[in-house]
Amino acid sequence: MKKFILITVLLSTILFAQTKENVEVPYVAFPIKMGKGFDAIQTNCLMCHSFGYIINQGKQSKKFWRGKVDKMITHFKAPIDEKAAEASTDYLFKHYGNGKLQ
Amino acid sequence: MERRDFFKKAAVVAGAAAVGTSTTEAGITQQPIDNRKISPVAFPEKRPLIMYSDRPPLLETPRDVFTSVLTPNDQFFVRWHMPDIPTHIDPDTYTININGLVEKELHISLNDLKTKFEQVEVTAVLQCGGNSRSAFKPIAGGIQWGSGAMGCATWKGVRLKDILDQAGLTKDAEWIGFNGSEKAAYYETPEFIRELHLDELDDHVILAYQMNDEDLPYLNGYPLRLVIPGSYSDSWVKMLSNITVTNKYKSLFFMDVAYRVPDNDCECETPEEKAPTTKPITKMNVKSVIGYPTKYSILTQKSHVVIRGVAFDDGHGIKEVLVSTDGGKTWSKALLDNGKLGRYAYRAFRFAYKPNTLGKVTIMTKAINNIGEEQPFAKDIKWNHGGYKYNGIDEVTVEVV
Repeated sequence: MKKFILITVLLSTILFAQTKENVEVPYVAFPIKMGKGFDAIQTNCLMCHSFGYIINQGKQSKKFWRGKVDKMITHFKAPIDEKAAEASTDYLFKHYGNGKLQ
Repeated sequence: MERRDFFKKAAVVAGAAAVGTSTTEAGITQQPIDNRKISPVAFPEKRPLIMYSDRPPLLETPRDVFTSVLTPNDQFFVRWHMPDIPTHIDPDTYTININGLVEKELHISLNDLKTKFEQVEVTAVLQCGGNSRSAFKPIAGGIQWGSGAMGCATWKGVRLKDILDQAGLTKDAEWIGFNGSEKAAYYETPEFIRELHLDELDDHVILAYQMNDEDLPYLNGYPLRLVIPGSYSDSWVKMLSNITVTNKYKSLFFMDVAYRVPDNDCECETPEEKAPTTKPITKMNVKSVIGYPTKYSILTQKSHVVIRGVAFDDGHGIKEVLVSTDGGKTWSKALLDNGKLGRYAYRAFRFAYKPNTLGKVTIMTKAINNIGEEQPFAKDIKWNHGGYKYNGIDEVTVEVV
């Protein structure tokens, strides 16, 4: 009987997890290459999305990375000024670039 | 658990799926990346999966899950667009609002949805338009998914049509907008809204609260999501909060910029010369994925192996799946399951195979649907800038000892 009660309690914990308490999405540490311009990434990119979202785009051209930064400014309304946009692009291209400008 | 503990825990596990590691050949579409490691971090209600990002959560199903028709909820892929997903949802107070060009605005509670409407079920494949994106060369923009941004489940809920009927559409109603509950970090960021034309909505479109006989998992859109069988998942709005009927198409980022392919016959372009016009990705093309063996399997010479996998399309239905073990020179028919879960579900296939030679062997599968469309070889798939709609003949190379 005791065992039965325990099982019941466990089951209801799982089933009602969403209603009783907040869902905790884990924080994950991604390998970050430190370097010039990372400050701009931290300030302007990481408040909206993880570093994983950046590095899992694959190695890309400078034009691609600048395009991504512009997309964040134009479509997602991120308040990134031109200086920060350039610094971010340079960082991304240096560490996650394919060597091609275009 | 204290938030601090999470950081501490997170700090010891470097959890990136990391940058692509497939061999590249300029301009020729390859097999999607197939060597991602399972993350040590398990997300809520999920087993550890391949993980690309925690905010927003992006999780991929490993290949070996694709041997069965229904994908287990705790292994079902996850893709959100915004970092801020409500972490507390009270099913007793959650309501879905229907407004705009309707005769009567509705505020339907979950309980009313489950008791005051006809309950229906549909088994359907949910696939990200960017599934298998890592196949494209040069690397297309977006998360470099392998082939696991897809799954198949039995969805239970209420027909969208029944809800719209109860609200009563006015004469000029034409577009239906669907809001999810995810939020961006900035108020100015566009919300995740999808618009569908009334003509796109048939009886198979439902508002689902259950997936494989359980509540929707939090990360798959609890407590309610849109289900549009045959269409790519970008239209299947999660944590559905609002339905607005309009007479005019509203320009939206996730409709007009993202999730689009070149508007030409091959849906293709080159990096140098992008197509001048684009169209939404909408319907899924025919595809098969091998679930067993995987590249990590070791087969024994002259043993009896059963190759397994799944095939699907946008609802025309799968006619046959062919298997080749000689590089595509000869093809043999695989056995298909009975298909009783309907035309939007995976068809599971199996194929008896006896490896006679030692060393590496490549297994290929090709699905053909009921209107004769078949999967092309990867190399024959042309590039598009978003890396959408890859459906190349699947390949697994395995060692025979």
